[in-house]
Amino acid sequence: MKISKIAAPAVAVGLVLTLIGCTGQVAPDDTQAPDDNQSSGDVTIRYLVEELEDAEAEARLRDRLDEFEAQNPGIVVDLQTLPFDTMRTILQTQLRSGDAPDVINWGSGPSFGGALADAGLLYDLTEAYEERGWEVYDFAKDRATTEAGVVYGIPGEMETLGVFYNRDLFEELGLEEPQSIADLEEIAEATKAAGYIPFAISNQEGWQGGHQLSMALSSAVGSAGVNDLVDGNSDWTSSDVEDAVALWDRFDEAGYLTPFPTSVSYDSGNALFFTGEAAMLPMGSWIVDGIVANADFEAGYFPFPAPDGQGIFAAGLGSGPMITAETQYPEEALKLIDFLVSPEHGRWMVENLDVIPPFPADLTGVEISPLLAQVLADVEQFGAGEGDFGLNIDVLMTDAFNEAMFDGMQAIYSDQATAAEVAASLEAASQQ
Amino acid sequence: MRLGLLLVAPVMVMVIVFFITPLVNALYYAFVDFDGLNPNPPFVGLDNFVEMFTDERVWAALQNNAIWIVIGTIAPLVIGLALALLMWNVRRGSSVYRVVLFLPYVLPQVVIGVVWGWIYDPIRGWLNKALELVGLGQLQTGWLGNADTALYAVLATAIWATSGFVFVIFLSALGNVDMELIDASMLDGTNTLQRLWYVILPQIMPVFLMVTTITLIGGFSVFDIIFVMTGGGPAGASDVLGTYAYSQAFQLNRISYGTTLALLITVLAIPFTIALNRLQRRLSMQGTGA
Repeated sequence: MKISKIAAPAVAVGLVLTLIGCTGQVAPDDTQAPDDNQSSGDVTIRYLVEELEDAEAEARLRDRLDEFEAQNPGIVVDLQTLPFDTMRTILQTQLRSGDAPDVINWGSGPSFGGALADAGLLYDLTEAYEERGWEVYDFAKDRATTEAGVVYGIPGEMETLGVFYNRDLFEELGLEEPQSIADLEEIAEATKAAGYIPFAISNQEGWQGGHQLSMALSSAVGSAGVNDLVDGNSDWTSSDVEDAVALWDRFDEAGYLTPFPTSVSYDSGNALFFTGEAAMLPMGSWIVDGIVANADFEAGYFPFPAPDGQGIFAAGLGSGPMITAETQYPEEALKLIDFLVSPEHGRWMVENLDVIPPFPADLTGVEISPLLAQVLADVEQFGAGEGDFGLNIDVLMTDAFNEAMFDGMQAIYSDQATAAEVAASLEAASQQ
Repeated sequence: MRLGLLLVAPVMVMVIVFFITPLVNALYYAFVDFDGLNPNPPFVGLDNFVEMFTDERVWAALQNNAIWIVIGTIAPLVIGLALALLMWNVRRGSSVYRVVLFLPYVLPQVVIGVVWGWIYDPIRGWLNKALELVGLGQLQTGWLGNADTALYAVLATAIWATSGFVFVIFLSALGNVDMELIDASMLDGTNTLQRLWYVILPQIMPVFLMVTTITLIGGFSVFDIIFVMTGGGPAGASDVLGTYAYSQAFQLNRISYGTTLALLITVLAIPFTIALNRLQRRLSMQGTGA
């Protein structure tokens, strides 16, 4: 009976334990034994990456790391993966518990690597950049730099946001790439009339709304305008922001989007495009691999149009390698980064992962799909500092802002808020 | 005396390690501003509590918890009891029925959430297709993405998953009901509802309260199935305290605020748990029930 007295509240308190279990602190163990492999002369460095799209991609990465090991005798790379959704929690716990990997593949920007760098949990790569001559594009390097000027990582891939379209269907319906929002609405009307879903939109997870807003806003205000917003020089309650939010609301009301976007998951939304049920897919360049693998039609890619012009691609940077501050093997970790930013590895990334490196790559004679070639050509302009590119907002803003943006777009699609209310919540979140 | 202490010691150690220490730790985090990274978080006094009581989303989440507690407690009890009464005298195939009805309860909540997510899918899900087939196409909606239906859609799934458990427990309890009392009440001319209310329920009351306690506490602490099916969305429409605490703690790195919310869940759940436990114990000591 006494046990039941204790057990009853204990069940309820279990909720608290769940949270606390993830926050318990353990002091870093300075006396941690070197890896077992050291006894045989090898150093093992742990390399933690986000779970790749499929098992084959992970196997290809493992093979690639085997090549690194062959080129660097005495260094063994222990490849570890975690799902993106849980990586933040587990990584933070590892970093604070003295059990951190040596190299991590993690997002750049203030919400990701920036936060870890500010807490002193990442190795300062400022000198290594100079000494080792890494040719990472300046804009990419800037994104992985703290306000204090510390360079903490290398963005691992470049991404653009735009609209993929079913080129075969466009030809069949006599449609051309749009040169304005009005053109885009005409295309939407034509595809809808032909029995297709004009835009495969998913937003159940919420983050897609940030990309949808990023592309519409980037084209509407240009790179200077969106940079001003991100840097805090413009107000998020401006009519431009409100109009960009309202545009998606209008498209939803007009029946141009997947029915009930907030009920449609990322995979389900993409599947509508892959199967030819939807004519267009507003998404990032990382989906190229999926389109090439799953769609049996030729796809094209255009920037989300501006109200009165062709518009620009929004661009962002994905996860990349960073060294943890407590690594016992900084030299070996730096050698791995040397390898990962080499032009040869850049070529391997393009060929094997269908992603675009943020540094010059040796792409002579590379065999890739026409769609990836188009994306690559667009991004090369970006890398070379030519042309005008907008921003993928969520990688540059704080978690609080991103939550307001994701919730705001979900609220638009589920009729819980007006565009003005969403803009106001974005402004409030930008001030936090 | 020493022997008594020795015998109690293992339990006390477990209570201290697994109950007192985490609780004290949680209280500590509620009074600092811990972001998951800074090992020396600043002391903020009652700020987290003030924010909690002025945070509109906490109240909205609490309201969803209340809906979940009421409907999510009553519905499985009613369905489970109804099924148990129906199956009470069934002999042939009763094991099959028990297994089939109990099966959803042993499935991982994640699996249930994913499968029901497919059912609720607005385009390929069979629920919308079925509605269209029977001429109720106007009722089609994005069940999990519509702010008006998201919470109830998840709740329906949870009720489906829980009712089988309640059914099996009640069926076992009914096995101990004194049939002579049933016969006597029938001779006295009671109808079905009267027999249920005055004869059967009093005899299974401790079990009834035990099941009520479990489902009710589940209403306070509900998290996983909502997290899997809607993530608390759209735009927080299906958030309960558990999912809101999680998003604050682990998505926004506000561990302290998330912990404060978790403490609120605990504080709300404990009185109900204790009250129901005491009632159950009193009835047991009175010799009432199965």
